[in-house]
Amino acid sequence: MKMRLFTLTVLVSLLLTACGGAAAPATEAAPPAGQAPAATQAPAAAAPVEISMMMWGDPAELDVWNQIVADFHQATPNITVNVEVADWDSYWTKLKTLLAAGTPPDVFTMDAPLYLDYQSRDVLLNLQPYLDKNPDLLKGVYPQTLEAYKTADGMYGLPRDFQTIVLFYNKDMFDAANVAYPTANWTYDDLRTAAKSLTKIESDGKVTQFGFYSDLWDMELIWSEAIWAYGGDIINADHTKTLIGEPKAREAWQLFHDMMFVDKSWPDSTTAGEYGGDPFLAGVAAMTTIGHWAVPGYAEAGFKWDIAPMPKGPAGQATSVNSAGFVIGKASKNPDAAFEFLKYVLSEPAQKRLAELGFACPVLASVAESDAFLKQPTPIDQKIFIDSLAFAHMKPVFKGYDEWSSAIGDGMATIWTGETELGPTLDAVVTAADEVLAKNK
Amino acid sequence: MEYGLKPLGREKLWLLALLMPTLIGLLFGALGSVVATVVLSFAKWDLLTPPSWAGTINYVSLVTDQKVLLSLTNTLKFTALYVPGVVVISLLVAVLMNRKLRGVSFFRTAYFLPAVTSAVATALVWNMIYGRDTGLLNFILERLGIPAVCWLCADTAMYSVVVVNIWGAIGEGMIIFLAGLTAIPREYYDAAEIDGANDVQQFFRLTVPLITPSIFFQGLMSTINAFQAFDYIYMLTRRGQGDSSIPVVVFSIYRNGWYFFNYGGASAQAIVLTVVVAIFMAIAFWLERRYVVYE
Repeated sequence: MKMRLFTLTVLVSLLLTACGGAAAPATEAAPPAGQAPAATQAPAAAAPVEISMMMWGDPAELDVWNQIVADFHQATPNITVNVEVADWDSYWTKLKTLLAAGTPPDVFTMDAPLYLDYQSRDVLLNLQPYLDKNPDLLKGVYPQTLEAYKTADGMYGLPRDFQTIVLFYNKDMFDAANVAYPTANWTYDDLRTAAKSLTKIESDGKVTQFGFYSDLWDMELIWSEAIWAYGGDIINADHTKTLIGEPKAREAWQLFHDMMFVDKSWPDSTTAGEYGGDPFLAGVAAMTTIGHWAVPGYAEAGFKWDIAPMPKGPAGQATSVNSAGFVIGKASKNPDAAFEFLKYVLSEPAQKRLAELGFACPVLASVAESDAFLKQPTPIDQKIFIDSLAFAHMKPVFKGYDEWSSAIGDGMATIWTGETELGPTLDAVVTAADEVLAKNK
Repeated sequence: MEYGLKPLGREKLWLLALLMPTLIGLLFGALGSVVATVVLSFAKWDLLTPPSWAGTINYVSLVTDQKVLLSLTNTLKFTALYVPGVVVISLLVAVLMNRKLRGVSFFRTAYFLPAVTSAVATALVWNMIYGRDTGLLNFILERLGIPAVCWLCADTAMYSVVVVNIWGAIGEGMIIFLAGLTAIPREYYDAAEIDGANDVQQFFRLTVPLITPSIFFQGLMSTINAFQAFDYIYMLTRRGQGDSSIPVVVFSIYRNGWYFFNYGGASAQAIVLTVVVAIFMAIAFWLERRYVVYE
């Protein structure tokens, strides 16, 4: 017994020291804080460099990125980019594990709302010294897509493509119900009226066709847009107070609630789940609001559809703009080569390839407004996505975003299943969300 | 309680050599993570910046965190429904499968199939069965004149999910019990029959006492599985970003660790979960000494 205890003590201490050792690289990476690394040797020397790039995406996206990487290698033969891909969920676990181990990929993709969760934890490279050396790099990029990456001491990330939310509608259903198509001048009241006339309720109370559906868990698909259009806001400027319970925002929530439970033109979340979470794609909802990423999937739906800008509210028209971008790991051993790649992603050839992929809008205006983007196989007016930038609000970016948005998404979920009342639930959600903000200060 | 042959002399060396790969794996893999989890449960760590000592804060905040308490309650409820369900039903199925039936191998395969099928795929099928407006189950109920039920709504979802989990576990339980049943000598039943015991009496007086080791083992395994249940529950009740309408402890650990930059809190929850399972195990072993009969 004594012997066993001794062995155990030795083992535990061994393991503890092993853990201590593993933590070391992370701290070692800390010293060269803030200022410019070896950015001085600007002309990319001929010495071959290999960098790693990690991204989320499906096989179609990977194909295009492999193509972009190959093009980049052709243009810059001394730099080879090794692409690693994962699906959205495992991407973040994988990334965090690699960062925790002190061996992050040189370049990796970033979703703008989550950017500050990483930037504030000092694992990203400040790109400002590089940007100062390339003053023309961001000239042709839509400024709305750059906003999210700005911090007090410069930009730690660059956008690669963006999403605005627009209204999608099933033309077959509109034709069958003899309802006029949505226009650029539609209001939320028009949306509600049309949704009502497009809803089919059987004599036994069962709804066989809904006028509208949009997912209410994340703000991006409908609720942030509607709150802005009604004159409300999501969160205050210094990210200390959640504003979704203010009177004007409540009008937007009330609209969703009434469409769902009074008009029955919007399926509750349990019903939507039965249609694979997307009743519009399933052909049982006449309208939805979603971003460009849905276009390739909807192109294969068995009905005719088109798009229109988001409706107007009492405070005008509003949509949400969100971008995906690239960042460089602070622990990267080849930051110069990594930045060369980021530069290439913003070049016309790379942005053209992204446009052809059809999942998102290119951030480079000259490409977004060229045939490469506007003349895609799906016969819709792609310009609506770009023109929506004129009234787009940035999807909020702040530290603790993930936990805060979960507090809201989870908290509101019981309203959309019909289990709880809107008013009191919203009050409780705002309190819970503010607690998360206080914790992440 | 001594089983099998004792290794002698040089055999011991071989035994050790053959066990080494697994032991090393366990030592540095499993034990390493266990020790790391214990240490991290006393730390504030977001995975990205170096951990700092947090004392017992992670444990204290568990007690006040409504979401954690809810997930713990859900896990306990789930376990209370799931474990007896699995043990009883798989024992009954095993008894049926132990008879000389036509096509018994077909039925055995059918019952075992869920154990080797992807949980994600089967959960999708169960979604089609449970659907309120489009589901198969409600379609049948309505044909029979019974009003439709919302199987995955708040008040019923727990039971619906337990049913799917039991369905998925019957196969493995059946195998355990079949092994136990075939070990009971045929003569005991012959003797009981001569004494005039009917089938029910034979089952309760003969089969059940003689199969207690299997019942004990199956109860133990089901309890561990219940505390770790994740896949079916998630697939049937998920909402956005890792959330579920029946959050269980495993969800809570996953979300806190991987989404909320709260690895310390997640570790503390994992430790609490381990302690709860350990208490159940202790009770089980105490019961074993009292009730389990080894021949």
